[in-house]
This record gives sequence, structure tokens and C-alpha cells, in this order.
Amino acid sequence: MVIENPLPHFAEWFPAAAASWLLVVGVLIVAALVLGCLVSVLRYGPRLGFTVALGTAVSGVVDLVCMSPRRVAALSWLAVKEAIRRRVILVFVLFVVILLFAGWFLDVGSSEPAKLYLSFVLTATTYLVLLLALFLSAFSLPTDVKSRTIQTVVTKPVRPSEIVLGRMLGFTIVGTALLLLMSVVSYFFVTRGVSHTHEVLAENLRPAGPAVDGRQPLSGTTESSQGHRHRLFVDAAGKGVIESEFGHWHEIQVGGTSDKPSFEVGGPEGMFQARVPIYGKLRFRSREGVDIDRGINVGDEWFYRSFIQGGSVAAAIWTFSNIRESQFPDGLPVEMNIEVFRTYKGNIEKGVLGSLSLRNPRTGLIVEVKVFESKDFTPLFIFVPRKITEFSGADVISSKRETPDKGVEFSPPQNLLDRRLAERKEFDLFNDLVADGEVEVWLRCLEPSQYFGAGQPDLWLHAADASFEVNFFKGYFGIWLQMVLVIAFGVTFSTFLSGPVAMLATVGAMIGGFFSDFLTRLSQHAVLGGGPFEAIIRLVRQENLMTELEPGLRTTAAQMADRVAEAGLWVIAHILPPFTEFNYADWVAYGFDITWDPWIVVPALRALAFLVPVFVAGCFFLKTREVAQ
Amino acid sequence: MQSSEVVIETRSLSKVYRDFWGRQKVRALKALDLEIRRGEIFGLLGPNGSGKTTTVKLVLGLLFPTSGQALVFGRDATDVKKNERIGYLPEESYLYRFLNAEETLEFYGRLFDMPAPLRRQRIADLIEMVGLGWAKRRQLREYSKGMTRRIGLAQALINDPELIVLDEPTTGLDPIGCREMKDLILRLRDEGKTILMCSHLLADVQDVCDRIGILYQGELQELGRVDSLLKVRDTTEIRATGLSEACQAEIRQVIERHGGQVLSIGNPTTTLEELFLHIIRESEAHPGRRVRGGAGNGH
Repeated sequence: MVIENPLPHFAEWFPAAAASWLLVVGVLIVAALVLGCLVSVLRYGPRLGFTVALGTAVSGVVDLVCMSPRRVAALSWLAVKEAIRRRVILVFVLFVVILLFAGWFLDVGSSEPAKLYLSFVLTATTYLVLLLALFLSAFSLPTDVKSRTIQTVVTKPVRPSEIVLGRMLGFTIVGTALLLLMSVVSYFFVTRGVSHTHEVLAENLRPAGPAVDGRQPLSGTTESSQGHRHRLFVDAAGKGVIESEFGHWHEIQVGGTSDKPSFEVGGPEGMFQARVPIYGKLRFRSREGVDIDRGINVGDEWFYRSFIQGGSVAAAIWTFSNIRESQFPDGLPVEMNIEVFRTYKGNIEKGVLGSLSLRNPRTGLIVEVKVFESKDFTPLFIFVPRKITEFSGADVISSKRETPDKGVEFSPPQNLLDRRLAERKEFDLFNDLVADGEVEVWLRCLEPSQYFGAGQPDLWLHAADASFEVNFFKGYFGIWLQMVLVIAFGVTFSTFLSGPVAMLATVGAMIGGFFSDFLTRLSQHAVLGGGPFEAIIRLVRQENLMTELEPGLRTTAAQMADRVAEAGLWVIAHILPPFTEFNYADWVAYGFDITWDPWIVVPALRALAFLVPVFVAGCFFLKTREVAQ
Repeated sequence: MQSSEVVIETRSLSKVYRDFWGRQKVRALKALDLEIRRGEIFGLLGPNGSGKTTTVKLVLGLLFPTSGQALVFGRDATDVKKNERIGYLPEESYLYRFLNAEETLEFYGRLFDMPAPLRRQRIADLIEMVGLGWAKRRQLREYSKGMTRRIGLAQALINDPELIVLDEPTTGLDPIGCREMKDLILRLRDEGKTILMCSHLLADVQDVCDRIGILYQGELQELGRVDSLLKVRDTTEIRATGLSEACQAEIRQVIERHGGQVLSIGNPTTTLEELFLHIIRESEAHPGRRVRGGAGNGH
């Protein structure tokens, strides 16, 4: 699974984030006050204008502080009623219809059907719920203004803040109920959709060794179901094991007599996971044996993964911290999913050879625990036992790093290396390879001219398994956060825009939010091809992104305009919520636990950080608007 | 009942409607100075587009004045606290058509932060008062115009307001409904409430208002008590019953002798509204009998 922007833990993130939020909100408040004063002065003249603006600001703050829960509840109830009247349930019906038809098209015979099903339901739910939130929120207030029903509401002692909050809460209640319904239906759709069993026929099994007490060990394959079959073994004691295939296995009960055995295969196991990963910090070792931050670029425009050359000393090195014996009493379960880049085809049926080693960062002892074959993006699971007796090599090496100020540094220093450490026949994982909870995992490619590519989250320690059901609903929490943000933006835009325009503005905010990363890079001049104006010239003149534009007045003007536009883009990128951050579909589909800290807590607080100013802006827009005009 | 306490006060209240670009479109109200006192029924009169509804909306805070000020209970019209003591019946009952009568009143009651028992009692009383008990569970979309008007009135009274603002209160009502509305307005005045109504139906205003203001093209043209405004000082009306033809001729001669001019002497006619009401009342009292209207029926 790709994690392009790893989040820091709450404790690291919060102080700086809170300070930055307060600063941005402070700047926005000052900007709003200045703008409000200007408009007011233009309308009422200098003295009265300033008084009016100040009075509006003060009464606006009073509106926010003195909200009545009963009135907010009444307005929320009205919004719920309105949503029901607008046949919101049809969205659920549409969702069920989509699921019914999806059953025809989702291929259960694919290599990872659970991932396919989970991605599908989460994506379909996201689109439907966000569309619903968009329509409900953007059209509600403008419809009230148009039908003038708002006039009978605002002539009651209702504050604008209560109207805005009531709308937001009401639509959130409706969306939440719908989301809950969809999640329950989706859960059953997914679990039932991929559920299957296999038949095992005695005549397809072959003897697998000598008989013990008249019972014959057997091996063979199950019958095919959902496009795959499993290898199975039955030992002389009658205990059967079905091997993992397509990301799952089955329990098997063996009954009957030794002459006429019968087999009963259970449902798929391990298909729906919520693995709790421990991620390490990634660095690379170059072909020259020097530690570097990034590996080789094989020409991929996406810089997420770096590559190491096969048949050299190059390695991708993950350093894991806080590894405790109590957490991994039996050994280290290492899982990885790496990219294989071939410079020649070779035997395409076979994977490229690689090795996995563990190194003690204190002593320098490195033990090559496994040599494996790797195919492109095929998940690999390697269990490193507590007592390492089988290994393909051991050595003691220093890592070497070049720093501009201190020159070349070795860790540990070469004169302190104890070569005898590598001469032993057995190693203890925690006594020999883990130092103060720290251990390094080295990945090497063993075939010359072939490459392995890795990003930091591509190799992890499988610490535990969390509940898939809880993880599934956490995935829906991400959709819920997106929905609440869309509702907040929709309601706020609708306080001063007509329905269709408010909808377009909300869609714009969503699109901007989805691409806020790109906008930030664009504003930092980090995108090839320059800013928007330079891009227009390139489009018109059909010039590629790499060449410099012809010097001249036009180019200078475009680049200067881009500097101005970049400032605007920077502001836009920072006032729109990063919607992609709330999308947990990959976590659920790839079977990773969405940990509370940081993946739930931090995005939830970030969403709140956007919701509060958006709500306050909505209140002020409604307060300063003549609802009867 | 009328006291000296000023409930509504406008000071040079003006309103200019502008377009999107800020250009002046209409000057809807020009420097209106007005005082409405507690316990009176004040009528704003004027043809369509004269600024009646604009005045009402400015007083309610639905519009912001271009210049001048509107004060209600001594507070600025944009202050929401004033709304706790106001009931407003708009020109057309702008209500949520997907709610039924009970839900509508429940919703508006909750907006006044009324405790539940008081709210329930008030809702029951108001539904009884406007005679919609039989339709209280029906959605407003199924209501006739008259029924919508009644439930609109009920929502305006949900908070037992001290000031009631009625915009064209009799629009859409049948003659019985009109009469009931006017009776209710008078009853509310008798209970000590202040009423501001605007209408272009002169008869309505004449029947109920204590004072009126006449607006034309955004300017106040006339302001005063209805009885004194309507009194035609140089015309005398004689109304009597049982006069013979000779007696009538003698009265004519007396008027001519004193230099007066007889405009008409005859049997006075009732208003159509009065006649219609009489027929309806008679029909209800004696079902099946044809009612004869006109001068011989005791009017």
C-alpha cells in the first residue's frame, strides 16, 4: 500500500499544528475585519461604516456564544425532515441496485477478490454520499430564501449561527444514518460475495510418504472454486492443512476411514485482515557502500520508490525502533511488497532473487536470514525465528556515511568491529541482532542488472491483527469526515450564493481539496512546466515541459504572472481541506489496521480545524445578508 | 387601551434597492418617520409598490436600511432579541409545506425556546382557535389557501406576542374568514397587543385600524386616526326609517331653504359583505329555506 504522506503521531503533530492553525485563523479574522470595514465604509460613510462593522462583528461573536441547543435541535430536525421529504432514501435504493449489478462484474476469480470488493464498496459509498451531501447542503438555504420560508424563521428569535449549525447538524444526521445503512449492507455484500469453499476428492490425493499405523499421509489439490485451487496435505494422524492461495486459506476436517476418507472444508480464512504494521525508517546503501537517503532513479517520474541495483552491495535498509521481546516472543514477522524492475526479461515466470538480512546497528553484525524470489508487487512474508539456525551468511560491517562537515563517518567505528561475532552457528534475535530495541532490516537484490524498488511503507513488521470489522467501520469514518466537510462547505456557500452556484463552489472546493498536494507543489514552483500562465503558453505553442521557454517579453510576463498566481494557489491549497487524507479505502482493502494515533485522531482534528472557520464564515455571511431581498 | 409607550419607531428610515453592481434600482422608502404606540392597531395603506412591505421588512430586520433607523421595543430592528415579543404573518404564509399543522407549530414553538408542556398547551389552543383541529395531521401541501392562512396566523401567535405584524392579513380569505380575521385583530387589540398591518384593501383597514398611514411611492402622504380622516366634514348624511314621501319632500325643502344641496335621499344600501354574511347566517339557521336578501330583510 502506498503512503505518500505519512502522518506524525498526535503528540508530535499537535503543538506545531495548533500554533499554525491559530496563526492562520488570526490572519483570516484580521483580513475579514478589514474587508468588512472597507465594505461598510463604502456603503455608510467613514464614521457610521466603522461603527456598523464593529457592531456586526461584536453581535456576530454574541451569536456564536449564545446559541440555544433547543433551537439548534429544532432546526436540525427541520433539516432531517426536509431531507426525508426530498427522498434521500432513493440514494440508498440506488446503492443497493448498484451492488446487485456489481455482483455480475466483480471478478471473484481475481487474485485478491477481497481487495476488489472492499475498494468497490468504499468507492461507491464515497461518491454517492458525497453527491448526496453536496445536493442537500447547497440547495437547502437558497430554496428557503426563494420560497421565503426563511422569513418566518428569521423573524423568530433565531440567530444566524443556529440556522447554519442546525442545517449542518441535520444533514450530518441524515448522512450518518445513510452511511451506517450502507456500511452494514456493504459488509454483508463483501463477506458473502467472496465466501466460498472447496470440494476435496479422495481420488485426487496422492500418497506423500510412508504409512504410519496403517494410515497414509496424502497430498494433492482441492477442486477449483472462484477461479483457484489450494494445495493440501493430510498427515498420518489425519490432520489436514490447506495452503494459502489468493490471500486466504481454509480449515479442513478429515473424517471417514483410512480407506475411505472424507473431507470437510470451511470458509476462507485470513481474507479480511487488519494487520497492525510497524514501519521503519528507510535509507539506502549505494553501489559504493555509502549510506544515502535515496536510491537510484530508474526513470520513473514518480519519486515514491527508489531502486537498488542487483549483484552489488547496494541495499534498502529499514531501521525499526522500540522492538521489544515481549511484543515478538517467537520472532519477527516481516512482510513486504516490493517493485521489481528488470533491465532484461530473463525467465519471466521466475522471480528475481533477493535476500533479507538483519543487522545489529550497535555491533554491526549482519545475518542473511533468507534468500527469496520476488515478483513485481507480490506480497512476501518472511518469519525470522527467535533462534536463527538456518541462514545463508553472516558478517560484521560498518555503515558508512559522508557528511559535508564531518567527512566520512563509520557506524560502528571500524576499529571496534568484532569479527568473531559472525563466526557463530546460531544467533539469538534479541540478544545478537536487536540493540536497545533497534534493528535494521536489509533488502538486497542478488541478480546483476536487475533492480528492486522500495518506499518506506513497502516493508513492515506484522505486529498483530486487529478486528477487521472495526477497521471496516473506521474506513467509513473517513467517508463520514469527507461528508461532514462537504456539508459544511455546501451550507456556508449557500448562505450567500444561489443553489446551483453554491453547488459549483462546493464542487470546486472538493476538487481543490483533492488536489491540494498538487496545488501546494505548483505554488512552490516544484512542478515541471511552470505555473498556469506558462502552461497556457506551452499548450498553445505545443512545447514540452522540459525545454526552457524562448526568452522574451511574453515569457517574462507569463512568469511574473505565475509568481502572483502561485501566491494565490498557495492560499487556496491551505484553506481547502486535503480530502485524500480522509480516504481510508486502501487501508481497508489492503488489510492494514487504521491506527487511532495518528490515522484517526490527526485527520479528525484536521477536519475540525477546517469545520470551525467554515461554520463561522457561514454565520457571518448569513448575518450580513438581507434574506428578504 | 392605548398607552404612550412607543413600540415601533422609525427615524428617517430609507431604503434603496440596488442591483448586483451597486447601481440604484428603486428608491422604495424615503425618510419615513413613524411612531406606533402600545395597544393600537396601525394600518399602512397604499397601492402596490408604495413601500408598505418594505417598511414592514425593515421593522422586522429582514432588510437593512440604506439610511435612518428602525427601533422595535427600543432595540435596533436587526437585534434578534426583539423577535421574542413579535409575531409576524407574512403576505403569503411562507411555511414548510412538508410539515403538518402540529409539526409546524411545534417547530416554531421550539424556536422560541418554549418548554415542552407550555408549547404543547399553546399548540392545542391555537389549533382550536383557528379551527384546524380536523386537519392538524395533514401536510400543509394539502391545505387550501384559507387553511394555510389560518395556520400562518397560528404560528404568528405561538409566542403570545406583544406586537403582531400582519402583511395583507385578509388576502386569500373568504368573507367569513375575513370577518373572523378582523374580529380576531380587534380582540387582540383588546388584550393589549399592538398591531401593525399593511393592506391595500381599504375596507379592511377602515374596519379595524385606529390609526393609518398612507404611503405613495415610498413617501408618507397621510397619517392620523381613521375616524377623523374618514369624516367628510362638509357633508351631512341623514339615515332614518318610516319616513313618508311627503316627509322626505319636506326635508328637501328645509335643506334648500338653508342653502344646502341635496345629494341624495333614499334607502341606504348595505355592503356586499354584510349581505353575504347575512345570507350565510340565515342559511345556517334555517337549512333548506331560500333566504331573501335586500332592504326588506331587516337591514
